[in-house]
Amino acid sequence: MKIVSAVLLAAAAAAAVTATFLPLSELLIRLAPDQPQTAYVTTGWATHFGGTKDRHGPLFGVPVAAAAIALLAGIRWRRTAFAAAAALAGVTGMLFVYLLNAIGFHEEGNIAIDPGLEAGFGTGTWVLMAATVLAFGAVVVHPDD
Amino acid sequence: MIGRATAVALIAAGVVLTATAMVLPWYSTAYPGDVEVVVRAWGTEVVNKPGDWPAGDLSPWYGLPIAVTAALLTAGIWVGRAALAGAAAQLGAVGVIAALLVSERGHAVEQQGDFAIGFGLVFLALGTLTAFAGAVAVQREAA
Repeated sequence: MKIVSAVLLAAAAAAAVTATFLPLSELLIRLAPDQPQTAYVTTGWATHFGGTKDRHGPLFGVPVAAAAIALLAGIRWRRTAFAAAAALAGVTGMLFVYLLNAIGFHEEGNIAIDPGLEAGFGTGTWVLMAATVLAFGAVVVHPDD
Repeated sequence: MIGRATAVALIAAGVVLTATAMVLPWYSTAYPGDVEVVVRAWGTEVVNKPGDWPAGDLSPWYGLPIAVTAALLTAGIWVGRAALAGAAAQLGAVGVIAALLVSERGHAVEQQGDFAIGFGLVFLALGTLTAFAGAVAVQREAA
């Protein structure tokens, strides 16, 4: 079970880092009826509105990457695996709370501009949640105590 | 080794500091015209909100995940490993707050706003580190 646990921890770290490059939340909006949709996308490393990058967009990728490094450390030092999984859960939980409100804010603030707008979580959020499950799975299959 | 009693006291202190953080302002930005955006654990308050302020509220309940981690920390006094789970999760959650803080500060400076860190965030950081130290010590005592 030790190898399975190591593989799961590596997979969780890889999934977490991958998630930072995927959209965490998305808003697709038509700024005028005859225009194509413009995408407002937040990833772990940037926030874009169409072709414009927010110079001060939050770097959510930093705490996610830190948790991923701790997960990898858990392969070598078993006792850190549980704490690393919990840290990733904390990052994911806080990110979920923030994005949930931000998505609602974007919907409410723009619904008058485009009633057909689409706003929601991106694939990055779901991959991050899957990474958290994998990390705890690694701890369950090979507990360190 | 600092002993279990000291470790538990550190966790308890961390919980108290964290609980205090939940009722104090975390950070704020003051804009011309006496407009001030104050971010707290249970929502964002806009003081002297202008008429042309955007619709909707960007007002996340950051306190929700922190309340869960504080509950885990408290449970950790009696339940093995709960304190470590709570402390590590709180550290991760605070990491997200740190990313938001840097971003908000950048936006505030760009818009000529006066950005300030509140006591709530100071208490949260201290509480998280104190609780983490206690949780690690409890684990070492148990090992």
